[in-house]
Amino acid sequence: MNTLKLEIVTPLGQIFSNDVKSVTLPGSEGEFGVLPNHASVVTLLSAGIVDIELKDGNHDVVAINWGHVKVDENSVTVLADGAVSISGGSESEISKSLESARKLLESIGDSDVAIAIAMSRVEAITKTRKL
Amino acid sequence: MANLKEIKRKIKSVQNTQKTTRAMKLVSTAKLKRAEMAAKQSRVYAVKINEVLSEIAYKINQYKSGAIESRFFTNNDTPKTIDVVFVTADKGLCGGFNIQTIKAVRNLLKESAEQKVTVRLRAVGRKGIAFFNFQGVELLNAYAGVSSNPSYEKAQEIIKAAIDDFIAGKTDKVIMIHNGYKNMISQELKIADIVPVQPPLHSMESSSLMELEPEEGGEEILDALLQKYFEYNMYYALIDSLAAEHSARMQAMENATNNAKERVGILTLAYNKARQESITTELIEIISGVESMK
Repeated sequence: MNTLKLEIVTPLGQIFSNDVKSVTLPGSEGEFGVLPNHASVVTLLSAGIVDIELKDGNHDVVAINWGHVKVDENSVTVLADGAVSISGGSESEISKSLESARKLLESIGDSDVAIAIAMSRVEAITKTRKL
Repeated sequence: MANLKEIKRKIKSVQNTQKTTRAMKLVSTAKLKRAEMAAKQSRVYAVKINEVLSEIAYKINQYKSGAIESRFFTNNDTPKTIDVVFVTADKGLCGGFNIQTIKAVRNLLKESAEQKVTVRLRAVGRKGIAFFNFQGVELLNAYAGVSSNPSYEKAQEIIKAAIDDFIAGKTDKVIMIHNGYKNMISQELKIADIVPVQPPLHSMESSSLMELEPEEGGEEILDALLQKYFEYNMYYALIDSLAAEHSARMQAMENATNNAKERVGILTLAYNKARQESITTELIEIISGVESMK
């Protein structure tokens, strides 16, 4: 199975590093998905949600506020200013990380609509994961 | 008897020094833990952003394409003016930590003078500033009080001055020198060319086939990326240097404590010898006094 290596790093350390099936990124020109063997590209990211499809089909979600991504054939490197990984086994842990993700998105003063869209996406994805 | 008193006073004084150095060591150990954590967390990001930039530099150099912002990436073999940003500590008592950085800067000055290259110094940290002021070497910028309390904003301010001059064409190269953290007991002098961005040292055969497609507004992306790269490198240099400073001080204070301990041992021996001597003298005096009474 084809996978690509995804790394998400912030000034406060590495948030994510693993082989994944695909990843959807919030580009400054719009959202785009990356599958293995993608053409190489360097681009800006805006505030939003990084949707990661793990090898086992589950989804992981990371909220970022601003950053860059470097894509080449089999690796994706995200350099984000701030990132919050939404994860956790229990309901309370997830809601806690959701809260910090919301704060992160709000801190850059994006419009309420954009935040609402992003948050609803996060919630949708976290729900599918639990099933 | 005066001798005895003298030695006792010395022992007391050395013991006090020992107490001070031990306390300083403990303080540094605690501070080191925090600084080390900060440096470790940022290292991943610093390494990654350098990787990305050097890859771009490599590709731009290879294809000579676009010529976007080429001044940032093309190596100038005969620079006329070099900016050196160097980081020292604000405080002393940390062994050879500051001197190592200063030596590196002085070597650079000497080499550049031979090649008739103008070097402008931007100093961060009181110790470096004090040294070059004393030597009568002119400093372009001096930032005191940043090394012991680094922040991203201050790093931005420092590097912006250097980069602005580079963009304006006043300098051809910016070099950053700091003494970095290697592990608990050793430091490592790091000298890095910040601009022009250096391509990776090892050749990148594996990825040389693929091409980087700058999207619309490629320049904008590169600008943002470059700015981040400069700022982050400066910031990382500051926190790396702080971690190294604490580890150096911890070690220096450890050595000082051990030396003081040794010194106390020697003095105690001398004290006991002097005491014995005086007892013997007294005894002889008493005995000879008794003898003469008979």
